[in-house]
Amino acid sequence: MNQPTNNNMEYEMSSLLNSAAVKRTFAACFALPFVVLAGNAAADGDGVWKGGENVYAKVCGHCHENKVGPVIKGRQLPPAYITAVVRNGFRAMPAFPASFIDDNSLQQVAEYISKASAPAAKP
Amino acid sequence: MTEQTNTTLLPRGVDAANFQQAIAKFRALLGEDNVLVKDDQLIPYTKIMMAVDNAEHAPSAAVTATTVEQVQGVVKICNEHKIPVWTISTGRNFGYGSAAPGQRGQVILDLKKMNKILHVDPELGTALVEPGVTYQQLYDYLQENNLPLMLSFSAPSAIAGPLGNTMDRGVGYTPYGEHFLMQCGMEVVLANGDVYRTGMGGVKGDKAWQVFKWGYGPTLDGMFTQANYGICTKMGFWLMPKPPVFKPFEIKFENESDIAEIVEFIRPLRIAQVIPNSVVIAGVLWEASTCNTRRADYTTEPGATSDAILKQIQKDKNLGAWNVYAALYGTQEQVDVNWKIVTGALKQLGKGRIVTQEEAGDTQPFKYRAQLMSGVPNLQEFGLYNWRGGGGSMWFAPVSQARGSECNKQQALAKKILNKHGLDYVGEFIVGWRDMHHVIDVLYDRTNPEETKRANACFAELLDVFESEGYAVYRVNTAFQERVAQSYGPVKRKVEHALKRALDPNNILSPGKSGIDLANPF
Repeated sequence: MNQPTNNNMEYEMSSLLNSAAVKRTFAACFALPFVVLAGNAAADGDGVWKGGENVYAKVCGHCHENKVGPVIKGRQLPPAYITAVVRNGFRAMPAFPASFIDDNSLQQVAEYISKASAPAAKP
Repeated sequence: MTEQTNTTLLPRGVDAANFQQAIAKFRALLGEDNVLVKDDQLIPYTKIMMAVDNAEHAPSAAVTATTVEQVQGVVKICNEHKIPVWTISTGRNFGYGSAAPGQRGQVILDLKKMNKILHVDPELGTALVEPGVTYQQLYDYLQENNLPLMLSFSAPSAIAGPLGNTMDRGVGYTPYGEHFLMQCGMEVVLANGDVYRTGMGGVKGDKAWQVFKWGYGPTLDGMFTQANYGICTKMGFWLMPKPPVFKPFEIKFENESDIAEIVEFIRPLRIAQVIPNSVVIAGVLWEASTCNTRRADYTTEPGATSDAILKQIQKDKNLGAWNVYAALYGTQEQVDVNWKIVTGALKQLGKGRIVTQEEAGDTQPFKYRAQLMSGVPNLQEFGLYNWRGGGGSMWFAPVSQARGSECNKQQALAKKILNKHGLDYVGEFIVGWRDMHHVIDVLYDRTNPEETKRANACFAELLDVFESEGYAVYRVNTAFQERVAQSYGPVKRKVEHALKRALDPNNILSPGKSGIDLANPF
């Protein structure tokens, strides 16, 4: 029996790659969601945060890169504002206690978001 | 040193002296950093989505444990000072109470820091995890270790976790979507400090804890779910082998009145396992919200959204009034055979537009539905909260037979009541084997006090009217847990309270959970 592949990208994309729509997407925008996942593939199964970019990719980005929450990169939001929103929550955004994102990692993700450039436009 | 603390708030029946003694003991046991009493430390635990005042679910303190021994120590202190503790794992129970305690003043026992993946067996397809492990973490672990296994999870997958979701009997969207059915072996810290392992877990030298559920004699796992008889510190569960071929698809139906026929079409396919996963039949507003549609895009009028607008949204966004999501799993040959059966049955039905992944491409909501059905974490479904905005959400989730006439009746009833209170029907049916979890998100603007009041009244009326028709919910937010317990009758409640008296005579573990509280006259 052929061992099924465990690469999520390939798994998701196996039936998509041949579609004209996906080929156009790749050509147009370099498939940003897949790049975000691939760029953070190292050793997250241990449940330890690996810095601001890592927290952003694994928590914030799920909403803030996908039009569910507002874009927060590229706006030079003050880190203190970001940490306050994360701890308090805001409207539908959940609050995260220190047990979920420790103070140090929160500071790192706040600085990361504050300094990051705006995400590339998606189709 | 002066610090702003929450000293004015005490747990029910606990005086200030006992509370301070308990806090001092918690500090000695867990360390200063793991005993939270300052307002700014507790604020994250008070963010709720229910239509009640935050103060009703404010904790007096929160403690974080990192080992089973510490959980035993916490329980000992709680017994000594009669402190009620509300346990959370990842604390993401959105629309059901989030991380906040069921009753004002309860101390939160937060187990998020216990986040070890203790074991994954790729051959047997089993996992054993601690309470703080998230689905995202477990997903990453499987990827990093190249394990050909697939997760099943609820929609807030990336930040929620398998132990908490299963303890609350949540459901997912794969063939393993009935999560408690796939649970195998629990470790539970009891109120007296004993560590109890269910199933085969008590046998010295045993290797079958994660593969055989029943063990010997009474099988008690279910007793600890949606309950307050123990604190689950480890949970085993089964993972589905990743199939060589995964074929997600959608079927769009034009009219709201199609629901009965859809259910009659799906049921035989689901019961016979031709379609093996927890199929979803999503209503138009669920679909619209999860592909970035806001109510304000269409109207600024307050109240329920008109059917004319719903039809316009359906047209603009190319949605069905009902949208069925299902998937086939297996070898190419198996998938081909089942695809032929599904498309044949649909042809016989004579309505419904089928959409494949090749046709849908990268569009939402198809993309996130395909991810949910294949175990890839995402948070796309939080788009629901943008429909009205304002962060108000309470799940009304009555159980139904998988029978067309019943689903039709429930949907019409729910819509009528929601509209009466100026709110919308935003619902889906999740198809079990023979049941439906009819999941309705009572969405409202929590920043608007008047709308919040209406949402609360609406939820109460939904429960009352559905109860009078012989229906009850499978799970509910903490503001309504006592009310829902009443629907299930007094005998059940007497048994539950007898168990509570026997196992937790000091009533320290999550009093009020599912209406079980020794302050009640049972």
